[in-house]
Amino acid sequence: MASEKFTSDNITLPAEWRSKRMPLAAVGAVLIVVSIFVFAGIGNGLKPFFHSYLANFMYCLTFCLGALFFVMVQHLVRASWSSAVRRVAELYASTIPFWALLFLPIIITLFGGSDALYSWNKPEGIELEAVLNKLTYLNAKFFTLRTALYFGVFIVAARLYFGMSRKQDETGDREITLKLQRWAGPMIMLFAVALNFAAFDWMMSTDPAWFSTIYGVYIFAASMLSFFAVMILTCYMLQSKGRLQKIVTVEHFHDMSKFQFGFIVFWSYIAFSQFLLYWYGNIPEETIWYRDRMDHGWGTWGLLLIATHFAVPFLGTVSRHVRRRPGLMAFWACFILVVHWLDMTFLIMPNVGGVSLMLILGHALCWIGMVLVFISLFLWRVGETPVVAIKDPWLPDSLAYQNLP
Amino acid sequence: MSSVLTSGIDNTYDTPGRRTPLVTGGHNYSAVTRMVSRISEEAQPTVWWIAMGIAVPLLIMFVSLIGHLFLTGVGVWGNMSPVFWAWPIVNFVFWVGIGHAGTLISAILFLFRQNWRTSINRAAEAMTIFAVVCAGTFPGIHVGRAWLAFWLTPYPSLNLWMWPQFRSPLLWDVFAVGTYASVSLVFWYMGMIPDLATFRDRSKTKWRRMIYGILCLGWSGSSRHWMRYEKAYAILAALATPLVLSVHTVVSFDFAVSQLPGWHTTIFPPYFVAGAIFSGFGMVLTLLIPVRAIYNLKDLITPRHLENMCKIILATGSMVGLAYITEFYMAWYSQNPNEYFTFVNRAFGPYWWAYWIMFTCNVISPQVFWFRIFRQNVILMWIVTIFVNIGMWFERFVITVTSLSRDFLPSSWGYFQPTWVDIGMLVGSFGLFTTLFCLFCKYLPIVAISEVKGVMSQHAHDEHRHEHGHSH
Amino acid sequence: MSDHKPEKKVKPPQAFGWMAEYDDENKFLDAARKVRDSGYTRTDAFAPFPVHGIDEALGIKPTVLPWFTLIAGACGTTTALVMECWMNGYSYPYIISGKPFISLPAFIPVAFELTVLFAAFTTVFAMLGLNGLPKFSNPVFSNPKFDRATDDRFFIWVDSRDKYFNSDKVKALLEGTSPLAVDEVREDDTSTDVPKALYFGILTLILASLIPAVLVWNMRSVRSDKSRWHVFFDMDFMPYRKAQKQTTIFADGRTQRPPVPGTVPRGGYAIDDPMYLGYTPDANTAMITPDSSSVVKLVSAQEGAAQEPKPQEPAPTTQEPTPPAQEPEKPAEKPAQEPTAEPAKQEPATTEPAKQEEPKPEPAKTEPAKTEVAQEPAKPEPPKSVPATPITPAPAAQVPAAQAPAAAAQQPPVAAATPAVPDRKYLEKLPEQFQANDEMFALGRKKFEQVCSACHGFAGYGNGLVSKRAEALQSSYWLQPTSVHDERLQKQPIGQVYYTITNGKGKMAGYGSTLNVKERWAVALYVKSLQRSQNAQATDLSN
Repeated sequence: MASEKFTSDNITLPAEWRSKRMPLAAVGAVLIVVSIFVFAGIGNGLKPFFHSYLANFMYCLTFCLGALFFVMVQHLVRASWSSAVRRVAELYASTIPFWALLFLPIIITLFGGSDALYSWNKPEGIELEAVLNKLTYLNAKFFTLRTALYFGVFIVAARLYFGMSRKQDETGDREITLKLQRWAGPMIMLFAVALNFAAFDWMMSTDPAWFSTIYGVYIFAASMLSFFAVMILTCYMLQSKGRLQKIVTVEHFHDMSKFQFGFIVFWSYIAFSQFLLYWYGNIPEETIWYRDRMDHGWGTWGLLLIATHFAVPFLGTVSRHVRRRPGLMAFWACFILVVHWLDMTFLIMPNVGGVSLMLILGHALCWIGMVLVFISLFLWRVGETPVVAIKDPWLPDSLAYQNLP
Repeated sequence: MSSVLTSGIDNTYDTPGRRTPLVTGGHNYSAVTRMVSRISEEAQPTVWWIAMGIAVPLLIMFVSLIGHLFLTGVGVWGNMSPVFWAWPIVNFVFWVGIGHAGTLISAILFLFRQNWRTSINRAAEAMTIFAVVCAGTFPGIHVGRAWLAFWLTPYPSLNLWMWPQFRSPLLWDVFAVGTYASVSLVFWYMGMIPDLATFRDRSKTKWRRMIYGILCLGWSGSSRHWMRYEKAYAILAALATPLVLSVHTVVSFDFAVSQLPGWHTTIFPPYFVAGAIFSGFGMVLTLLIPVRAIYNLKDLITPRHLENMCKIILATGSMVGLAYITEFYMAWYSQNPNEYFTFVNRAFGPYWWAYWIMFTCNVISPQVFWFRIFRQNVILMWIVTIFVNIGMWFERFVITVTSLSRDFLPSSWGYFQPTWVDIGMLVGSFGLFTTLFCLFCKYLPIVAISEVKGVMSQHAHDEHRHEHGHSH
Repeated sequence: MSDHKPEKKVKPPQAFGWMAEYDDENKFLDAARKVRDSGYTRTDAFAPFPVHGIDEALGIKPTVLPWFTLIAGACGTTTALVMECWMNGYSYPYIISGKPFISLPAFIPVAFELTVLFAAFTTVFAMLGLNGLPKFSNPVFSNPKFDRATDDRFFIWVDSRDKYFNSDKVKALLEGTSPLAVDEVREDDTSTDVPKALYFGILTLILASLIPAVLVWNMRSVRSDKSRWHVFFDMDFMPYRKAQKQTTIFADGRTQRPPVPGTVPRGGYAIDDPMYLGYTPDANTAMITPDSSSVVKLVSAQEGAAQEPKPQEPAPTTQEPTPPAQEPEKPAEKPAQEPTAEPAKQEPATTEPAKQEEPKPEPAKTEPAKTEVAQEPAKPEPPKSVPATPITPAPAAQVPAAQAPAAAAQQPPVAAATPAVPDRKYLEKLPEQFQANDEMFALGRKKFEQVCSACHGFAGYGNGLVSKRAEALQSSYWLQPTSVHDERLQKQPIGQVYYTITNGKGKMAGYGSTLNVKERWAVALYVKSLQRSQNAQATDLSN
């Protein structure tokens, strides 16, 4: 009975999508270049561009990191429901090596002595003693070493889980599942440490004086939330092209939507905790970060974030009737992907200065360009690979799986 | 009886693609009913009487010490400048933390469809309620004039027309712990209704039948009732999940909204929650390992259940470890001399022993659960869970006492020493907890009978389907 | 639990419906489907656990329960926010930790908790309400087999009130589903009367529960000449005493406590080192001040005196009039000894007049008059209030004892009190402990800008921000801070500047406790250099 579901028509990417990957990449690259010129209009050298680049880079990388965590955690808990959709996540995770390449421009400018993104890279310009004391940690060489370690962990894990799963597509060997389950624990531990410190290094240190211990958890929450949105949207689009029929069912959409809902709440919880503690403590070196994000138009942006990153999607997806309608959920997934951009922007861009039309325009161009590159990378990575793990031992369970009412 | 069959299968192992049963021993529904009901229907074993024999005197001691406190004043404690939050608050946070596993098992694991929760959730919820009772006692008697603790509630006072201060985290705590206690109680009670009906229907005496009949509200098992009941259960689970998180988050706010080095850090909310789950599961295991042996519940609380709990302890213990590392790292990274000093002082100052007990018990000891032998041998497992309990008590001690004893002003530094009343109250609170738990074992269904049957049914169902699948 | 025993039959039992019993949930589900497909709607199915699929099999409609939860949750949020804003923002505004009265971030935790509280309780009660529970009497209970419905049996039930109910057909239908048994269930024939005793019991309970409320209300509204009944004493009965009264709390019977041995009161520790004073004390201005050792001595003297009849040996060193402090209380304690103890003790060999004779102040003493003791004000004669002497703070108190009556001497006056300054030998340059080097200068500048410039301005012209602000507000009581470039000030030796910084002058408070000795000298140095920089002479160039 299962066999007719796994025809190549049903489980590989539509050809017309694959044919678009080069144009997409080209357009994406052009948009990114255009954004450099737009940013040039507002002055301040390459600073706005690199901040925008980092924000959009993290915007895309968070999907992949979320996907990687999702895959590992499904193995860790021996989940069966997710078997039908896990391959999509594996594919997203397996694009991480390319993101390591896309991080190179940042590394190169660091070694060029630029402080466009990380002001700690130019010790002459630093006045704060607290920052000067950190330079043993925040310097180009050590930073690069750590970045290599972080990407090393992510890439090893992604390759392990994707590679083994591909192998299982051919052999159907159950031992592979057992092996992946065994590795899930240690891998997740490494992943957690890497993600936590990567968030500190890559994003938090753009404001080198500021610090928050919850920052890594915040990025983790954002990663998971945006990942589930990407998953829902991908599955929906594949289905609308006649793929994954009778494989991904409304039950899977329901589950992914529940996770998305859960992470909307979790993100809000983490964001609120950080804000409340700094607001209440009212210590200048901590509140300065929020000060920057309440002035020059960013205050409105923050309020917008509260409304759109929490209140609206919370109320929008609280009902199971919504969660069980893939079309509606695809809308909410798009919505989340937009507000995720608002969030990443809010974290990074206020370092550059106030909100201005040119800034947002350049940033949005860079965003669209980066997303196009991302899609192109994804399509290229998928190629002929089936988008479902056809011989996963849990797959029969997953196909038959039903949510309780 | 059929427990001969008990250890036949190793159900800690899933062949991928096939679930091993969660109830071993080949029992049918009726056997499960009997297995649980007889605990309440038959005379209690000697161990129960021994436990009560120890717990009740401790409880009496606890109550007497509270009386002593009321009559004498909070000076009977070791709380002294600069450490004004000391043992009572440590005990409070410790117990509240333990009180997290029950609702977590009921709610979060329910949402994640972890069916193994059904064998342990009832006892864990009971543990939660009793732990919250112990926890609630401490801030109650810590307010100084405990008989005026009702001032914490926003009631219209006839003479003063004053209201509580909602901008204070301590008041949030009142609401959080109060909500948590009452919602957990309702959740627990609601979960018990069908099982109380089972007790009613098995009653041999008129009084027993009447009491359980009233307690179960006339439950009949109608499918319409079940449908709404399940819906309500799911909704409660969805509400209780953020509630569990919020409670320990608010407890962490008590510390973290201040400016004290070592308290004021943003990781506190998730870190406290992870620690609470960690300690809660530690305590669940500490209780259930003896309980399953004493009441012969090994077919319901199987090695699989124990192993899963060990894994959760390992996971949350590692999260706590990551939080410790992050805190330490950020103390340096922030370049705040006070913050940095506080952390160095924790590890190498006068309370270094407490810090290293904490670190060893919480971070290192659960790492043994990477090894299968520790997840399978109940004795070893039990010993580790004791370490976890100790470690989590010390964690709260380290946080509370070391930060206060050496804050910004070196001239006011001090060294906290507990009095005998402090120690007696901690020990006494275990008496209260154990007494309540023993009474629970005697009078109430300690395993969620109907939920276990539901899981057995589902498994039978799946097996059925598998056979079909294979035949095709 | 169903029933109170029947006794009185209201009407003959009626057939109420048919009930079929199964031992397997699959048969049970099949039977439910058949019953549904036969068109019966007044049906029910009973199971010991929620059987997956029974809703669909029996045609049970989804519940409206989630709506109750949603509405209750919204009510909870609203209630909490309104309550918090009204109570803390309007009814009882109260400033705490500098937060606004209405602090939304701080209100969120409670709002969340109440949301959950309301939603959870509503869910449970709505569930019970929709299910019609509690319901202790139910016709199905009358079937004795039904006890196993909570154990391992499954039941299907068709109600006789169904539109299409036909007893024989229903029975046949059920029998065709391979049940264990099919039974007719009769209506519950027990009396529906509630026993009188129950009414009575409930009434009694209600009345009893009113008693405390009535008592409280009575106590609140009725006046009584008896004091109220104290469950807890709180602080209503405190063992407090007036200063000179006897007490039983302390072994020595004194209410007012002498200084703790080994402690040094603020201002009680002085050294005659010019580095601390800013001037060189000469014989006339000799310090007459209890230094730490003498304080300690004093106290031990008191103790000694209290315990043994023998007087203590007098303080050897200098001018230390043991304050007559102790004597007033000694009497309280051991009157017998007092005469001996007291006179013996007082005699330090000093320049001081024999003070004890006049136990009472009148410090008409002449000599302190000129001295202006920097550190030690009240020395002359602490009248009776015992610890006054050693404790009096105020390093800055320079009240000439002669002029001020004792009373004044006791409350350390603000520096302002000083009238014309007698000629002290102020240091003309830095004390030898410090060098006028770059480091010292940098320190002085740093401290001046941190501490002094707010009023005096960065250049010392008395036009700091505080001053400007006060002028802008046209503050009536604000005096413009002195410019350090005043001619008078320019002439002051550095020691005098130091002295002023330490002890204050006019409206300026002393900074002796804010800055340490080195910092004060550094600031003084900086002030002198400021003066020089702003009033440079041609001759300076040669340097």
